[in-house]
Amino acid sequence: MIRRLALAAAALSLTALAACGLVTSTNRSVFFVFDVSGTYVKSVPDAASLANLTVAKLLPGDWVGASQISACSFSEKEIILQRQLPTTPSLASQTKRELFEEFKAYAAQVKSAKYTDIRGALAQASAELKNRPESERFIVLFSDMVGDYSKACDTSHFELDLKGIHVIAANVIKSDPGDPKKYFDLLAEWEATVVAAGGKWSLVSSPDQLPSLVAGLQ
Amino acid sequence: MAIVLLILVMWIGREPMHRIVRQTFFFLGYMFMRWGTSLLEHGRNARAVTNEKIASHRADELQDRMLHLEEKMGKRTEQLARETGPILKKLDKATHELATSANAISDINLEDAAERAFRAALPSMESSRGLTKVEKNIAQNTARTMNERLAPLRPALITIRNESPRLKEVAEKLVKIEHEFNKNASDVNKAFTEFEEIVRSEDRRKIASRASIVVPWLIAVLITAIALAGVFLNFFLIERPMAEIVGEGARIGGIGLPTFAAVIVIFLEFVTGVILMDAAGFTRLIPAFHSMSAAGRRVMLVVSFCFLALFSVMEMTLSIVREQIIEQQRETDRLAAQIIGPDLIERAQPPAEGAAPAADAPASTAPQRANVFGLELSTFAQLILAGVIPWLLAAAALPLETIIRNSVFILSIFASFALIFLAFICKTISAVFKNVGVFVLAVYDFIIFLPLYIQRRVQARGAGADEPPTPRQKEPRQKGRKSSSDDDDAFMLSDPAPEKSPNRDKQRQPEQKLEKAS
Repeated sequence: MIRRLALAAAALSLTALAACGLVTSTNRSVFFVFDVSGTYVKSVPDAASLANLTVAKLLPGDWVGASQISACSFSEKEIILQRQLPTTPSLASQTKRELFEEFKAYAAQVKSAKYTDIRGALAQASAELKNRPESERFIVLFSDMVGDYSKACDTSHFELDLKGIHVIAANVIKSDPGDPKKYFDLLAEWEATVVAAGGKWSLVSSPDQLPSLVAGLQ
Repeated sequence: MAIVLLILVMWIGREPMHRIVRQTFFFLGYMFMRWGTSLLEHGRNARAVTNEKIASHRADELQDRMLHLEEKMGKRTEQLARETGPILKKLDKATHELATSANAISDINLEDAAERAFRAALPSMESSRGLTKVEKNIAQNTARTMNERLAPLRPALITIRNESPRLKEVAEKLVKIEHEFNKNASDVNKAFTEFEEIVRSEDRRKIASRASIVVPWLIAVLITAIALAGVFLNFFLIERPMAEIVGEGARIGGIGLPTFAAVIVIFLEFVTGVILMDAAGFTRLIPAFHSMSAAGRRVMLVVSFCFLALFSVMEMTLSIVREQIIEQQRETDRLAAQIIGPDLIERAQPPAEGAAPAADAPASTAPQRANVFGLELSTFAQLILAGVIPWLLAAAALPLETIIRNSVFILSIFASFALIFLAFICKTISAVFKNVGVFVLAVYDFIIFLPLYIQRRVQARGAGADEPPTPRQKEPRQKGRKSSSDDDDAFMLSDPAPEKSPNRDKQRQPEQKLEKAS
């Protein structure tokens, strides 16, 4: 009861101060996108582990969303979860643990998809993040970055809008070890696409980089 | 040729050039001199005002001390009446008994007693036959009679023996009380003498210099610095758990909300401490308390004490919450660090019917740490610290008064010295300007010394041809050029203005007067 009263008083005070422009939000929204196409589906548990590590470093009040890349990714059906962490540390810790369980459960029952509609997934994530009030927005992409579009959902020519969004490609596996140039060209192409869409591009190669990059611990 | 021409031009333009140089340098010098004088006056005034303030503060202090001593003496007097009553009764009783005993002793005539004893022995002497027996009889009778006569004296002697130490004790007590009284009276006299001296003395500087300002200020600053270190510690203790109360994720003016809330709580604790100390009469920081009644101040004291106690309890609670948050965060990190491998995936699958639930207690293998009342030692230490710090913070209000008051004095003294120093700088600049002006004029005249010399010779000759010089006119001319150049050069604005010559001199020495006028 006392806590609620204190929170209500704090909320009122914050509203008053926000009206004066003194109060700013430090929260961030993070959208995890898992690739479940044939070549990447085996890496989903690793990706979920990375997602857990990142969620552990998020602050109370941050928002977490997750979806998967399938044949037609631009769809609400592909969204796995959407949760906001409570503003108090103890409740936030509890919610984080629930998120760990959800990611674990997802990694346990994930099913492979025939096609890889990366652009559709990015558009879906971008649309979700645009509706969020948080000042910092991230899309964390767990994928091999190789697009494969079906005829029914060919979004390869879709113009993305990623303004104010930081796209982070994590755990990008090398699908063709015999052709490194192809790998680097692919990453360069995606970087150009994201930057052209108004976003910021980053590539993380080690597990500890991702939480630091998202939570701003660097 | 050009040089000659230049010298000629300079000679022609001597008068206006001299005027320009004088007006430029001497005016600036005059301006700086005025500024210097004004600043010096202000500096001295500021110092005098500060001295007066320090003296009045010292007088206030002495007045407080006198009041305190007076109060102490008043209380002692009340106590003394209670203490001296029984002492005086004892003294009275002892004196009475001693007087009675003395009377009894004085009533006894030993010579008469001996004579009586001898007379009493005579009848038996007559009946007895042997001389030795007579002697023996006399001695026995004398001893018995003396014994009988001295019997009433014995209680008096015992009383004297018993009452003497008591009297000594009582006398010692009275001497002690007298010493205490004398000491207090001496203190009061001393304070009063100093107070009188402060109030009446004209030498405020001497009075002010007696009052120590810097040493108490330094001590107060040191104590406050230590208290601020405590504040720093306190801040880190409550910053994280404050997120549990006010939430996290917002910033106010660039500062995180829990940090902001922690700072506010510390400020509130400090303010409560200031009120507590003021209400208790230890400090005089809040003017409203001076005019408040004793009952009102007591109420404020109790209220502030209760608030501080509540703050103390709140901090203790927060220190426990802090530990819980850290523990939860640690556990969350541990869970997040678990790699989601095939085994974990299997565990994440819904368990088959009849299967035993998976044991998830890796944390239980953690070693048991030492605890006090069910709390870990570190948490217990935090708890004590959190409970004590608000009170220490309140104590920091004690030196605050000294810091504020003495800082004002120190700043005032510093400002007065700064003004005097600025005055010195201005006067120095003024002197530089004047001397530079004089130097420039001298250099100018030196360059054109030849035409100037010729001019003066010609003028002297012309004047001699027209009219023979009177002795009065001769005198300055005999002093010659030096006098003339001195008149030019030694034009100091600080000097008193030259006396106006009578009109007749003006007519007789037109050149010299013209130079002076310029």
